[in-house]
Amino acid sequence: MKNVQTEVLVIGGGATGSGVAWDAAARGFETILVERKDLAEGTTGRFHGLLHSGGRYAVKDRLAAEECIHENRILRRVASDAIEDTGGYFVTTPWDDPAFGDKFLEGCRACEIPVEEISPSQAFQDEPRINRGISRVFTVPDAAIDGWKLVWDCAKATTEHGGRVFTYHQVLGILRAGDVVRGAKVRNELSGEEFEIHADFTINATGAWAGKIADMAGCPGVQVLAGKGIMIAMNHRLVNTVINRCTMPADGDILVPIRTVSVIGTTDIRIKDPDEPDVTQDEVDRMLDDGEKLVPGFRKARALRVWAGVRPLFKDARAAETTDTRDVSRSHALLDHRDRDGVAGFLTITGGKLTTFRMMAEETVDMMCEQLGAQRACRTSADPLPSSKTGKFMWLGERLKEREATMHEDQLICECELIQRSSLERVMTQRSSTILDDIRRALRLGMGPCQGGFCMYRATGILHDVERMDSWAANRSLRDFLQERWKGVQPILYGDQLRQARLDDWIFQGVLDVEHLPTDQLDDHPASDRA
Amino acid sequence: MRDVLVVGIGMSGLTAALRCQEAGLSVTLLAKGVGSTHLAPGTIDVLGYGPDLVESPSQALPRFIDGSPEHPYARIGVDALSRSLEWFGERFDAYRYTGAVDENLLLPTAIGSIKPSALVPESLSAGDLRNGGRFLIVGLRQLKDFFPALVAQNIANAKTPSGAGISARAVQIEPPTNGEPDLSSLAFARRFDEPEFLDAVAKQIGAHLDGDESVGLPAVLGVQHPHEVWTGLQDALGRPVFEIPSLPPSVPGMRLYEILRAQFEAGGGRVVVGAEAVGADTDGDRVTAVRVAAAARIKPYPAGHFVLATGGFGSGAIEMGANWSVREKVFNLPVAGVPEDGNERFGPRYFDAHPLSRAGIRVDDSLRPLDDNGNRVYANVTVVGACLAGSEAWREKSGEGISLSSGYKAAETIVEEQT
Repeated sequence: MKNVQTEVLVIGGGATGSGVAWDAAARGFETILVERKDLAEGTTGRFHGLLHSGGRYAVKDRLAAEECIHENRILRRVASDAIEDTGGYFVTTPWDDPAFGDKFLEGCRACEIPVEEISPSQAFQDEPRINRGISRVFTVPDAAIDGWKLVWDCAKATTEHGGRVFTYHQVLGILRAGDVVRGAKVRNELSGEEFEIHADFTINATGAWAGKIADMAGCPGVQVLAGKGIMIAMNHRLVNTVINRCTMPADGDILVPIRTVSVIGTTDIRIKDPDEPDVTQDEVDRMLDDGEKLVPGFRKARALRVWAGVRPLFKDARAAETTDTRDVSRSHALLDHRDRDGVAGFLTITGGKLTTFRMMAEETVDMMCEQLGAQRACRTSADPLPSSKTGKFMWLGERLKEREATMHEDQLICECELIQRSSLERVMTQRSSTILDDIRRALRLGMGPCQGGFCMYRATGILHDVERMDSWAANRSLRDFLQERWKGVQPILYGDQLRQARLDDWIFQGVLDVEHLPTDQLDDHPASDRA
Repeated sequence: MRDVLVVGIGMSGLTAALRCQEAGLSVTLLAKGVGSTHLAPGTIDVLGYGPDLVESPSQALPRFIDGSPEHPYARIGVDALSRSLEWFGERFDAYRYTGAVDENLLLPTAIGSIKPSALVPESLSAGDLRNGGRFLIVGLRQLKDFFPALVAQNIANAKTPSGAGISARAVQIEPPTNGEPDLSSLAFARRFDEPEFLDAVAKQIGAHLDGDESVGLPAVLGVQHPHEVWTGLQDALGRPVFEIPSLPPSVPGMRLYEILRAQFEAGGGRVVVGAEAVGADTDGDRVTAVRVAAAARIKPYPAGHFVLATGGFGSGAIEMGANWSVREKVFNLPVAGVPEDGNERFGPRYFDAHPLSRAGIRVDDSLRPLDDNGNRVYANVTVVGACLAGSEAWREKSGEGISLSSGYKAAETIVEEQT
């Protein structure tokens, strides 16, 4: 590929970067988004799925709470297709101080978060599994939001406005002409090809990795703390409403029903390397114990998968050293490198949370417009994303409805998540990805109770056909998927899920003998060494 | 009172029950549901990797046992294993098994790996790739569990021990299914039992034949009359035809289950499926009855001898609870090989060996269960199949070999004591 020219280069394909690309493209800037892996493969794809009402911050951080409710209202309109309108409860469990509820009410009202106290007995009727020791319940407009859907729709909006999205493109260096940033040198991680993207303006939206990109641009000292949070997806919707503990934010105090599962989160532990967030037995146990407080019997449900996400928390260099990252500012940081480092044409946006991604993007593109001397109004609070034009919220029964309509015409490939062959083939063609884990995120393929035990063999065969791959590549794709899956399941294998894992071993090793598939020289390197 | 109660109706339970019955004992077979037969490919894999590819299990086993003294084969012994395979091979008349403990066949899997098996159903045997050959792999469009192009490409790239070349190509046919787009392997197998369907398939395949290719199909060639369907298709195509097993439910496994169960029942054996064993009554070092949950009550099943053939972690016979404690659910036998709390149960890489995988019930050479100190827990219980500690069956490709030979050996133990 020859060098490429654009007006705006956005680095980072999480919610922030995708939001910036959407915003810039919608304002008429020629835009390119680059991401080193797949979209929403970092922090955005590894959160609990909560669209905040702001209630969580109503007592501790009113500014954050106000931002949340403001954005919550907008996203319900412009990103409805990624949102399930579950509503949320803040509950006072026997371990929480009932008096906090009064502060909570006061905080919500001050931030104009719609809040109402309801009787526990009414809550037990709607959510019969929650702890009967709960003494107070408040309703707020929390919701569940699918980070993958959201980001892919931002990418779609970007391309509809003429922009381009390059996934699996790693930034090798930032191009500078004197004191001005002029784009980046990138490498296509799948083909190995290297080329330059020349841009009038470059935006660093790489979250916990923002310091590395800023360093490349010659803007040192951007410190982003990586705060690790683990989450566990439980089989089934144990609840249908987001459940928060009504207390100061702590570990394991949020349970989010999203799609076919419920997700308990989270922890907050500072780690050095955002690329290596591991999960310990201890963290799993604590999370399960916390779940038990919200929903008695929680541990006996099936834990499907555990993962760790990495929050980017921008650190003010003047603040004292801290190890509890939750006390570092959770709101975002927009760095003007012209002022800070004397480097023009370059902004860094980091920190924040998924709920406020659109606002962060708006502020960023506003600042860019100002520096470029091109005033153009933001469109993203008014124009819905491509899949949200109908304004309909995502709905759990959608796939079943679709399946019922076409069950006499189509094959069901993933029984757990109700994925039909035609949808799978369509996504494989659209994404043109030969990586099964990408297809998983796009469709939730293999994310149900059997964790791909049945559908991943089928998906490999279909991918081999649709993408006209050679069998070496198909074999690698399946083996890489199995290794990636193993990371997320092995720390939580107990009970019926351990049993399930044994059945999956039986299928992949006992029946298919995947481990002895013929290999070519590429296979000498373990999956993790490749892009 | 019955002489023997066998709990579990997979390979090991069926074998133990049949052998005890042959010795003249009265036997009841009790099971929560159907067992491993419906999941496994229907082949008898004795030892495929140890860890390198095994060409002859009988030659490789002595050394393998020396290197793995805790392995079930070390308790069972090569001699009992060989006898059990001979016994098994002679059980069938219409639908036969071929092969022996002396050499492994190399059969294609549904993804195109080549897997070593010692004994295989006749309808799979022409898929043996040891001597190379030319193959046409046929897919059925309405079956989502088989991908002929991937199988063909992978086996064409496979390295045979002899260096013999393999050429393979794929074709997808669309048999008449009344517009039904998504048929399970069992649904296909039932259709293949109908002569008209078989004719239609043979015609479609016939249009694609070239030279002397052997023809491979997914393992769905009939469930009631597999011998007739297989020979019928071979006759119609004028060449060897073979089946390739795929995802559960396994049609070859169902055939095996039906044949063995029918033999047991024809011999007067009683089968109770749908009854979960949940505990046992004991008297000193003897079990007097197994307690069974059925119809909202607990019913004791007394017997002189008990065979635990309930499977391992995969069947739920051994359970790791939410507090990470491990329990065998019928006799509460000690489970050996479980990593201590704080030690890793699994390694970080999926295809590596994992510490928990070899956990199970430790037994003596008579397959009596042992406690942590090596003492017999019960004098009239034998433990067989996937419950046994010390193997990683799916990695070694040894599951059915262990099940068959341990079921056989347990019966020997019981018969010896009884007479």
